[in-house]
Amino acid sequence: MYRKQVRRRRAVLALLIIGSFALLTITYSRGSNGIQRGVSTIFSPIQSAGDRALKPARDLVNWFDETFDAKGENSKLHTELESARKEAVGAQAALSENRQMRKLLELDESGAIPSGYDPVTGRVIARSPTVWFSDVTLDAGSGDGVHVNDPVVNGDGLVGTVNAVTPNSSEVTLIADHSSAVSAKVVPKGVQGVVRPSVGDPGDMILDFIDSTKKVHAGLAVVTAGWKAQEVASNFPPNIPIGEITEAGIVEQEAQQQVHLRPYADLANLDLVQVLTGGSR
Amino acid sequence: MIVTPKIVVRLVLIGILGVLLQLTFFSQVAVFHTTPDLLPALVVCLGLLGGSLTGAVSGFAIGFLLDCLLIETLGGGSLVLLTVGYLAGLFRERFEIHTSLVPPLLCMVLTLFAELGFGAVELMLGLDGSVSPLVIRQMLIQSAFAFVLGWPIYLGVKRALRPALVEEPVRPPRRPRRPTVLGA
Repeated sequence: MYRKQVRRRRAVLALLIIGSFALLTITYSRGSNGIQRGVSTIFSPIQSAGDRALKPARDLVNWFDETFDAKGENSKLHTELESARKEAVGAQAALSENRQMRKLLELDESGAIPSGYDPVTGRVIARSPTVWFSDVTLDAGSGDGVHVNDPVVNGDGLVGTVNAVTPNSSEVTLIADHSSAVSAKVVPKGVQGVVRPSVGDPGDMILDFIDSTKKVHAGLAVVTAGWKAQEVASNFPPNIPIGEITEAGIVEQEAQQQVHLRPYADLANLDLVQVLTGGSR
Repeated sequence: MIVTPKIVVRLVLIGILGVLLQLTFFSQVAVFHTTPDLLPALVVCLGLLGGSLTGAVSGFAIGFLLDCLLIETLGGGSLVLLTVGYLAGLFRERFEIHTSLVPPLLCMVLTLFAELGFGAVELMLGLDGSVSPLVIRQMLIQSAFAFVLGWPIYLGVKRALRPALVEEPVRPPRRPRRPTVLGA
């Protein structure tokens, strides 16, 4: 009797392991499938309702965490404020020059997002729990006009790109995910490179493959490059802010052709985001 | 554990509730810059109370639902969580749970194991970016959260599955013997 039980248990375990590997093999890099679309359709309304109901509790926990952090950041911010005041004077002059140049080039001054994109606002309703994946689920899906590879932004800058869609929801791979790579340029220097994440540390990213002969320094902004070559174009429109260079050692620039940057968007606390639908597709 | 259709329904509800709570609450709060991961601890508790088979099946199902809702590659979460559930059940079958510290400690250790497992699955599928040393810190903090959450989860799951649990006989406390006075 006991042996039979042990045999049955082992058989079930083997079946589950084989099932897991089979699922991994079948569904690897295929986007969303029928099962996921079905499950997502059933659970999306429950998730959405749960997300709204639990928002006050989440805000409370996050408030405690932020208050704890704010104590440490207070003195650091005082120092930064002083240097920012000095920079502000220079920035005003640069801004005026920038306005004149924009007029000359007849560029749209309204914002970074070029015309032709139709923003769809979505709320983050779920987030990957492990430290290895940086994915969020939005309550906007193909029914709202969202497509795979659509760029996603929030008020601060670039957030990520749509990886999979279902009728009611979509999965967004954040720029902090290990699979993310965004072609970017440093402004105003124009140095181009690829922004890649540092897995496990969403506050630190790497601008890789930069031209080591052109030096960049901390404080410069990094925006999307938005390249286009014949029929092929980047998924991201140009000039969407990504982050600010925080660390640009000469040795690292020359030897590894990379610098570190901090993303403008707070990727750990995303709530409302915009999916830029339409565009060059 | 005696598995009846009613208990299966309860197990399914516990799994769904756990996954929804994780995705809509725990994954979206940051404490010490880390999001608590409730699911390995939940699977550990199911394994500890139901045995290796219940643990493995629950882990597989919870991982599958998680992958479906996050629109991830299916199978990764299932593989890791079924292993966690099986190990927790195996522990219960091989060793006796002497103190109330065992469930939270096991939750802590197996959450760390699960996070390493998720990393291994990612490596297997192709990890493209560089890995920050902060990952280790985050995994350790997640394990600490699992230790804190382990006991309430264990008690909650135990309460929900009480009709199916086979209570081990409780030995009556030994009464101290009165000293015998020789020659009295």
